[in-house]
Parts: sequence; C-alpha cells; structure tokens
Amino acid sequence: MTLLSVKDLKVTFNTEAGVVEAVRGVSFSLGRERLGIVGESGSGKTMTGRSVLRLIRPPGHIEASEMLFDGIDLMAASEREMRALRGQRIAMVMQDPKYSLNPVMKIGAQLTEGLRLRDKVDKATALAKAIEALEAVQIRDPERVMESYPHELSGGMGQRVMIAMMLIPNPDLLIADEPTSALDVTVQAEVLSILDALVRNRGMGLIFISHDLRLVARFCDRVLVMYKGRVVEELAAKNLMQAQHPYTQGLLNCLPRIGGSRAPLPGLDRTAAWAE
Amino acid sequence: MSLIEIENLSVTYHVGGHDVRAVEGVSLSVAARESYGLVGESGSGKSTILRAICGLAPVSGGTIRIGGEPVGAHRSKAFAARVQMVFQDPYASIHPRHTLDRTLSEPLAIHRLGDTDARVVRALTDVGLPPAFRFRYPHQLSGGQRQRVAIARALMLEPEILLLDEPTSALDASVQAETLNLLNRLREERGLTFLMVSHDLAVIDHMCDRVLVMQHGHAAEELTREALAGAQMQTDYARTLFNASADRMLEA
Repeated sequence: MTLLSVKDLKVTFNTEAGVVEAVRGVSFSLGRERLGIVGESGSGKTMTGRSVLRLIRPPGHIEASEMLFDGIDLMAASEREMRALRGQRIAMVMQDPKYSLNPVMKIGAQLTEGLRLRDKVDKATALAKAIEALEAVQIRDPERVMESYPHELSGGMGQRVMIAMMLIPNPDLLIADEPTSALDVTVQAEVLSILDALVRNRGMGLIFISHDLRLVARFCDRVLVMYKGRVVEELAAKNLMQAQHPYTQGLLNCLPRIGGSRAPLPGLDRTAAWAE
Repeated sequence: MSLIEIENLSVTYHVGGHDVRAVEGVSLSVAARESYGLVGESGSGKSTILRAICGLAPVSGGTIRIGGEPVGAHRSKAFAARVQMVFQDPYASIHPRHTLDRTLSEPLAIHRLGDTDARVVRALTDVGLPPAFRFRYPHQLSGGQRQRVAIARALMLEPEILLLDEPTSALDASVQAETLNLLNRLREERGLTFLMVSHDLAVIDHMCDRVLVMQHGHAAEELTREALAGAQMQTDYARTLFNASADRMLEA
C-alpha cells in the first residue's frame, strides 16, 4: 500500500540573483519500506525531505502536481492540519543533535514536552513513556539521561535521544536526514541497527537521506540517486553495484576501500546533460 | 632515524577539579616521507596527539622529538616552518573576515619571507584553485574549496610535516576523493611526511603506510597496510572498527 506519493515536486527559491531551482520535478512513492535518497550537497535531497513536511519557508516555494500522504493532500492541507501531521504521523530526525536539541532544557523535559502539551498526558505517564522510548534506542541508564542536558551527552547518545523523541508518537513515516553523519563509524553502525530494528518492528515507512551511498545500500530497500535537483536513477539497493547511470557509478567509485588500489581516486564526472 | 618520535606521551586536562587523561603512554615513530595514520572513535585521543605535537594540548609526560630534537614548552618559528596542521572543519579553521589573500600571506609576513604576491598565487594554483579566488572571503567558497585553502595555508611555509586532523570528514564523498587525491599529489611532489587522523579506516588505508588504532587514550594496536587489508588485527577493538567500516558493509 502506498503511504506517500509525490509527483513532479519542485522547490524554488526566489533570491536577489534570480530563481534558484533546488528540486526540479522529483517523483517517487513509498510504502511501508525503507527508501534512501543519495546525492552530493546541493543535490536537493534535504529539500525533498523537508518538502514532505512543508518545512520550507519563504522565499522557498513548493510546487507539486501531487503529494499525498495516506490519502491526505499535503499540498492542500492547512497549516493547522500540517501541524497535526508533523511529529504525530510524519517525524523527522535531523542531522546534528548539537543543533537540534534545546541546549538549556533537560532531556527528560524535552522528551515529555510534546506528550504533556499535545496529548495532555499526566506527568507520571509521560515520564514512563519517555523512559520506554530511551530504552527502545538502547540507552542503558535512561534515568540519568533524563536528568542530563544535551551538552552532557556524547554525539551518539544525543542522536539516539533525537530518534527516541521522534518515535514517542509512533509515526507512520520517519524522515531521517543524515542521521549518522556526525557520528563515528562504530557508533554509526549501532545507531543504524537501532533505527533498522525500530522501522521493521513498527512497520514504519522510512526516508533515509545521506551522501554515503554505502550506508544507504546497506540499510534501505530502494535508492533514489539525485543530481542537481533531479532523480537520475532509481534502483533496488541490492542491485546498487550494478548501477547503470555513470553518476551513480561515480559516487560508488570515488570512495576509498580497505585493501584497494593506491591510485588516485576517480573524480566525479559532473556532466551537465544528466541534470536535464 | 625517524622524523617524528613520540615516546610515552601523556596528555592530561584539568577539568572542574579532576583530571581527564586524554592520552596515556602512547609511543610512535614516523619516518621521513612516511604517511602514518591514527584511527579510533571520538574521545580516543587521536586528535589530542596532533595537538600535543603543535603545543595545543597540555603534555603531562613523555617526549616528542622532531628530527631528533625534543620540542620544549614553546614552539618556535623554526618549528612552525617544519610542522603545520590542517584542521577538521574548514568552516571553523579559516578566519571568516579575512580574504584568502590575507589568510595565505600572514605566515609569510610573520616569517619575513618576501615574494608574497607570487607565493600566494602559486599556493592557490597548487591546490587547484583559480588565482581569481585570491580576494574572496571564506563564505564565498564551498566546503571542499575551503579545505583546499586550509591545505594551501599549511603549505605556505613549505613544511616537511603535515599534521592532518580528519581533513575530509566534513566533506561529501566526491569532494573527499578530490581532497585525498590532492594530498597524495602534494606529498609525492614535495616529499611531505603525513601524520593523519581519521575515524574512517578506508580513508586511512588509502592514505597511510602504517596505522595506530587507539582506544580510550591508549594505543591498542599498530597495523601495517598489508595487515589491515588482510584483516590480520590482533585486538578485538581493531576488529570491531574494521567490521564497522562502511566499505565492509557493501560486501556483507
């Protein structure tokens, strides 16, 4: 069943230097599966993710011939209806916990704020739910973390707290924008496996945005490769090594490998024609 | 004789009344023209070693020798002419309100080297930036271009040793490839010695001849490039790191 379908999505910015087209006609649909969006910086992958939540402020402008989430027309929804969707049914995990958590609020207060205000849950239940969420992301001493400020946590812990926060309302769709880019490899692998288990067990849809093709291949069912605001290739993650498009091949080949050749890494061919 | 010799180095920070031992008893030696890697997760002390060499971290024990001479409490101008560092985050390591011209010519002024004009232009072309960029500000450049400027700045005094602290971890995969190629080319052309920190084993493997795996401020294991490629690590920690490396995921 289709959870989200996007047709001909365009994001434009009206700047002093003229109109900048960040996303130019992207279409995809998503069931309860894991979709990866890969591309370099500036390819429009983050803008695509944010558009689904209509989180683009003027001078940015979103256009789409269709953007349906579970039967709801996201283009026609009022701000009020969008607010009801954000967090509750579509959640987003941001890249850097350092900038996305409130630095002057204890973790416990941040985790329970939504429950207390939006769902009018009493304090004890909210605390219990928050601790349960922290346990779900394998934080070993949730009571201590609840009493901590964000600066007292490591990057990996902070990122897990963000994932826990997004999972409390049990959303249907999770958009993860470079959720592990700020983390070490060992922590990265851990956070990814937590995310993977949660998505599987709860039957969520996931949009995983990253510039690291190898991570996406490991982690997703399907991959969209974006270049200059367009999708140049869509393929099943397991067939990634057989990618046809030279841009996708370039993205794969420019990564060093353990035991690989010492020759200069192939640069990325950025043929303008692919953007057409 | 090794160019960089570190013996039993310890670095201790005093934070809020208690001691944090960032590095404890680490020894390593790097030959001239060698490329040596330090790898480990955050907090393992790998960057602290580079900072200790530059005099940016409080050394509490052990010795650091560059070309046989122990470094003292202060770093001289002669030291700066031999050893330079490239930092992780090009957004933070270049003065935001100085033009590239000013950033690149400052070391020349401090060391009273003449011929500033030609040297700045050559430095830019050497790292693959057009000379027209000379009077731009850092915010007018992309992340990869900024890291090229940071590399150009480090090379202004024509040092023998470059200390590289995660030089590509803030960059996209494709820009990382270009930056690594640039570093390798410069090493070849100028006979540089690299001491490079990264958390990405694949990057270290591509760049370095030997690698020291660090954990919690201690040296866990030293591996040659062949041992790394052949997965012949002895310690569990090095193996965990190896298995978590992203390029292994593709094969799994």
